[in-house]
This record gives sequence, structure tokens and C-alpha cells, in this order.
Amino acid sequence: MADSNPVIDIESLSKTFGTRRGTSHLAIADISLKVGDGEFVSILGPSGCGKSTLLYIVGGFEAPSTGAVLVDGKPVAGPGPDRGPVFQEFALFPWKTVLGNVMYGLLEQGVDRGQATDRARELLAMVHLSAYGNFYPKELSGGMKQRVAIARTLAYRPKILLMDEPFGALDAHTRTRLQNDLLDIWERDRKTVMFVTHSVEEAVFLSDRVAVMTRSPGRIKEIIPIDLPRPRKRAELLVNRRYQDYVVEIERLMELPPEEAQAS
Amino acid sequence: MKRIADIPGFPPLMACIGLLVFWDLVARYLAISGLPPAWDALKEVPVILADPEQLLNILSSIRRMVIGFFAALVFAIPVGLLMGRSRAVAAFFNPLLMTIYPVPKAALMPIIMLWLGVGDVSKILVIFLGVSLPVIYHSYQGARAVEQKMLWSAAAMGMGAPARLLRIVLPAALPEIMVGCRTGLVLALITMVTSEMIARQSGVGNILFNSLDLAQYGLVYATILIIGVMGFVLDVLFEKLREAVAGWAQPVHQIAVGSA
Repeated sequence: MADSNPVIDIESLSKTFGTRRGTSHLAIADISLKVGDGEFVSILGPSGCGKSTLLYIVGGFEAPSTGAVLVDGKPVAGPGPDRGPVFQEFALFPWKTVLGNVMYGLLEQGVDRGQATDRARELLAMVHLSAYGNFYPKELSGGMKQRVAIARTLAYRPKILLMDEPFGALDAHTRTRLQNDLLDIWERDRKTVMFVTHSVEEAVFLSDRVAVMTRSPGRIKEIIPIDLPRPRKRAELLVNRRYQDYVVEIERLMELPPEEAQAS
Repeated sequence: MKRIADIPGFPPLMACIGLLVFWDLVARYLAISGLPPAWDALKEVPVILADPEQLLNILSSIRRMVIGFFAALVFAIPVGLLMGRSRAVAAFFNPLLMTIYPVPKAALMPIIMLWLGVGDVSKILVIFLGVSLPVIYHSYQGARAVEQKMLWSAAAMGMGAPARLLRIVLPAALPEIMVGCRTGLVLALITMVTSEMIARQSGVGNILFNSLDLAQYGLVYATILIIGVMGFVLDVLFEKLREAVAGWAQPVHQIAVGSA
């Protein structure tokens, strides 16, 4: 699926940052990855490996130093509503109510207020926040904020979801709940998802494929297809032997220093 | 059980009365000619407010202050926001602002008077300068602190850069801008009086310094009281406005005056 007409086609991408001392730092090097339509791909790696940078380049928020990203065959020149981001920091508009936040992208695209309100309410129901439409972001817990952020992005129907450690700032319990909810939502319309995380369990639980990255510079070490049946239930997976094997396999991959990995 | 200190407005009222009593007693005990007892000053307040000429003076002061204040907002908020979002703009304005910041704006008054005369324009310009600097500074800080991811989220919705400045940076920086406006309001009042002190023609400062020249100290202190009360009322009104437009943010500054 990933090879025939990929939705996202990342071609030998590198990104170099200038440092304060005038030297340059190679953040990611020569990354190539194709993501197929409706595929859920996780980018997994230690902090500082450039996995978020990779996502920001696909989003068009940052420009690559070399290489290119094609979305539906067209090179990415900047942000666009076909790629909806969800950030670890939520990035809600604090001066807007929950409903106002979810409607924002729709109004921005010229959808009329009545329709936008209906769609926003529908999405709030989907993320179990129907009762909170008139609340302001500061009145919500972290988990609720991230639900709003997910609803806000889904509202304007991006073809691709770009999720940047979306559950990284949440406690373990909330994190689990949101992972389950995200899978439920994804099962319904099977959007293409690029999901950045540093949690092996999270990547295996959610993804069709896991791209494991190494650090300094960030490269893709290996791409592991996760062949587990869907819909996935967390409780069943935890006792599933194959799930456990994937987790162990990927944990081992991440432990290896990059030199050794290249030699093998 | 409700304590008396919990009644809103009661503690500040007691503080005011306490201060007046203290002033009154000290003035009577020391008997300096330049410090009339509080009661003598208070008696002059209705006299000033009942005099149509003095009322016109006060109103013309307020008019200049309002014009200078709002002109400063119209200028300072966009400049501050642009500085916060563009390094080039910040690099251009920063040295200029750093030079002007420590200069007392009233010290510029004589020069401005040479250019523009002793009329309204000079005084409004001084108020404008006094208000602009804190508003620029806080707008700049507010715009700089806007979360990058918030701007990216808007960009992904298809919003272009100019629209983001107006519809994301401006509201996101609003709580901080309001802090600048509050400081600006106090400075507007101060520069209003000092400008009238230097270019005497009309206004509250004019009453103040004419009475001083005539050794009518009761009148001097009554005018100071009126200015003080004006400042207090403006601050309370401003706090209400802040709550209305930026109530969605956590309160940034909690100062006893006006927040009670």
C-alpha cells in the first residue's frame, strides 16, 4: 500500500540548523519515507533525534535544507489545510471557547457559522466533550485540552494528521484513554497519520508501521511493519505474544548505538 | 461568620480615612504653612468642583489625556506587535526606544513647546510619548511570547501571515498589552499634569501651580486629591475593561489598587 501512490513521499530529506557559535548542526540526515493513503505511521526515537523536525517539515512549518516532501505528488511549499497538526503543547486559542476553537478552522475556510457550529458540536461529541462547549481552555485539564485540539484539527477535514507527541504531556491514565479514543476515531475514517512519539508501546499499539530513528544526526534506522489485527483493544494486546515481541524487538533496536546498527 | 475586613471596599476605605486622620493630626501638630490640615483641603474640593471655570480646566485636561492616550495606543500597539514578531523591526526600533525610555518626557516639553507652541498639540504630544513607551514595551513582550505552535495551527488552517498578526498575535498578546495600557494610563495622568506645569494655560496642573504661587495651600492639596481620585477611578474602570476583553486569561498582575 505504501509503495503505490504514497500520500506522503519524503525524499532524502536533511535539515541543518545554525547554532549560536556560528557552527551548523545536522538535525536530520537523508530521510526517505513513503506513507500510504489511510496508513498510520509512527516516527519513534529518543529525544533530540529530530523526529519532530521531520514532522514540521512535512507540515510546511519549517523548510528542509536538502531533499523534498511531496504530498499527493505535489511538493510542500508551506502549511495547508490538507495537513492538520496536533501538538504536544495543545496550542489552543485561549481567548476562544472550546466551541470557538473547534469552529475556528471551518470559519477560516469560509464555512458558514451555522454549519460550522453543527460540525463543531458533532466533533465535541466524538471527543466526549459535548458539555464543555462554552468553557475556556484554561478551565480544562490537559487531557481535555488535547481532545479539543484533536477535534479542532479534525473539524476542517485534513487529509493527513500530523501528531507531534500529542500525549507526551499527559499522565499515564489519561494517555491510555486518549490513545484508545484516537484509535476509535481513526478506525472510522482512516485518515493518513504521521505520529511522533518516544514511547515504544504507544507506537506499536497505534501504528501500521513504526519508523525507528537514531540520533545525531537523526536517521531512520529501520521501519517495522506492525502486523496486529484491528480494531485493537489495549487489554487484549497487552497479553498478545506478537505485541510483546514487537515491543521487545523495537526496544532492542533503540538500545543499540548507531555504529553497531549500521554494521549489522 | 463574615468578618468586617471581608466587605468589599472596606479595607481600602479604612486606609484612606486613616491616612486623612494621620495627615490632619500631623498638620495641626506641626503647623507648617505649606501643609494645611486634611480637613481644610477636603473643604476646598467641592469649591473647585462647583466653579465652572475650574471644571472646564479639569475637562480640558481630561480631553487632552484621552486624545494622547488613544493616539499612543493606535501607534504603539502595532509597533510593539511588529517588533515582537520581526527581528528586523525590533532591531530598528530598539536603540531608539532605549534612548528615549530614561528621558523624563516632561523634560522634552520645553523643546516641544519651541516647535509646536504652548497649546494643546504640545501637551498631547508629551502625553503620547509618555504612554507610547510602556505600551510598545508590553506589546513587544506579549507578541514575542506568543506560542509558535499556536501560529502554526492557524497557518495550517490556511491563515496568511498578515491575518495571523491581527487575529492570533493580537488577541494572544492582549493580556500583556493591557498591562502596558494600565501603566500607560497612570503615565498619561502624570504627563498630563507635568505638561500643564510647564506650559501653564489651562488644566488641572494650571490650577495646582497657580494656587501654589498664590500660597492657597488648601486649594493645592484639594487639586492633588482630585488628581489622585481621578487616577483611582480610571484604574478601577480600566480593570473592568480588562476583565471584559481579556478575562479569558489568568490575571497577570494583581495590584491592590483597583482590583478590590
